[in-house]
Amino acid sequence: MKYVEALSVLAKLRTDEIVITSAGNSGQAWWAATRDTEATFYLDASMSLSTMFASGLALAQPELKIWAFMGDGAFCMNPGMLMVEQQMNLPNLTHILLSNRAYGATSNAALPNVVNNDYGAIARGMGLTRVFTFDKLDTLSRDFSAACQHNVAGHTFIVLEVEPFSAADQKLEQPPIEAPELKFRFGRYVESRTGCDIFGYRL
Amino acid sequence: MTETSDIGLRVADELAICGVKLVASLPDNWLMDIIATVDRDDRFTHVPVNREESAIGLCSGAYMGAMGSAALMGASGFMTVIYAITKINYTYEIPLLLLLTLRGAVGDHHKHHLSNGLYLEKVFDAINLPYQVIASKDDIPMISRCYRHTRTFSRPMAAVFTRDLLRGGH
Repeated sequence: MKYVEALSVLAKLRTDEIVITSAGNSGQAWWAATRDTEATFYLDASMSLSTMFASGLALAQPELKIWAFMGDGAFCMNPGMLMVEQQMNLPNLTHILLSNRAYGATSNAALPNVVNNDYGAIARGMGLTRVFTFDKLDTLSRDFSAACQHNVAGHTFIVLEVEPFSAADQKLEQPPIEAPELKFRFGRYVESRTGCDIFGYRL
Repeated sequence: MTETSDIGLRVADELAICGVKLVASLPDNWLMDIIATVDRDDRFTHVPVNREESAIGLCSGAYMGAMGSAALMGASGFMTVIYAITKINYTYEIPLLLLLTLRGAVGDHHKHHLSNGLYLEKVFDAINLPYQVIASKDDIPMISRCYRHTRTFSRPMAAVFTRDLLRGGH
């Protein structure tokens, strides 16, 4: 399935989830699908750390439901993150691995061992049990919401097998928000949703 | 209780005073008493992580959920997180308290920390990361001040423990 189309499906299925994007193409694709300027933290500068960032947020605010995107290029840099995720086992966190089998943000450069990498098996090997893989849009549309339901005991790992960005996709706009503004827009949104105090003052 | 074995509790108390709830750690032998103390202290959620960069990610995300945090690691671990700190914390202006060891300084018995002795403080300076050496029990309250400094300036800061404090001066 095509990368942008897959994220467009998730955008339609989204209810009130907070989203953390990753280094790679997910920020571009999610911006194209949603134009979200409040409830998404575009963590573009984060190779392999988007789900750790999301885990910290999910721990801090357990009533928020969080989707964290990660490319498989980022995943390959730090697969041990799944050990930490499994240890924390946060039911409000869904790790969505966008497996395009390439370093998408760098002209689809080759990933190591790309043919053999079985991300679901890696996750199961680290003790994760709520592991799901989707490679077709119709099953993604039909079953994704059930896979990442939030009344479950532990955290969820979902692999989306997608095609790498096309040359046209690579030209999709990056989210046009300066990082400090993004921090405040997102943080104020989290404050409004939860009543928490991130910045120590209110305007 | 030995001269150094209450340091962990003193540090934990100081972290609690400034509102730290999450401690993410990677081990360093000098830090084991602090890590063990934090781990059994109900005031904290202690998360042992797989690599130091994961601690940076966790603590940065916790900040965006209004949870106070600290990343505890050795000097060598810090040397591996320059990317994460400069990309996440500097780019997005996210505060972060780092608790580190002053490896390679006088009193460190391990030859393999030579590189930290040569370059650790120079790396702090190179990335304009403020740091405070915590060399005695009287310095421990500085941890709270460091924490507040990170919040004031929306940047990371390191509190760096000496061996003399954590292991004694022998």
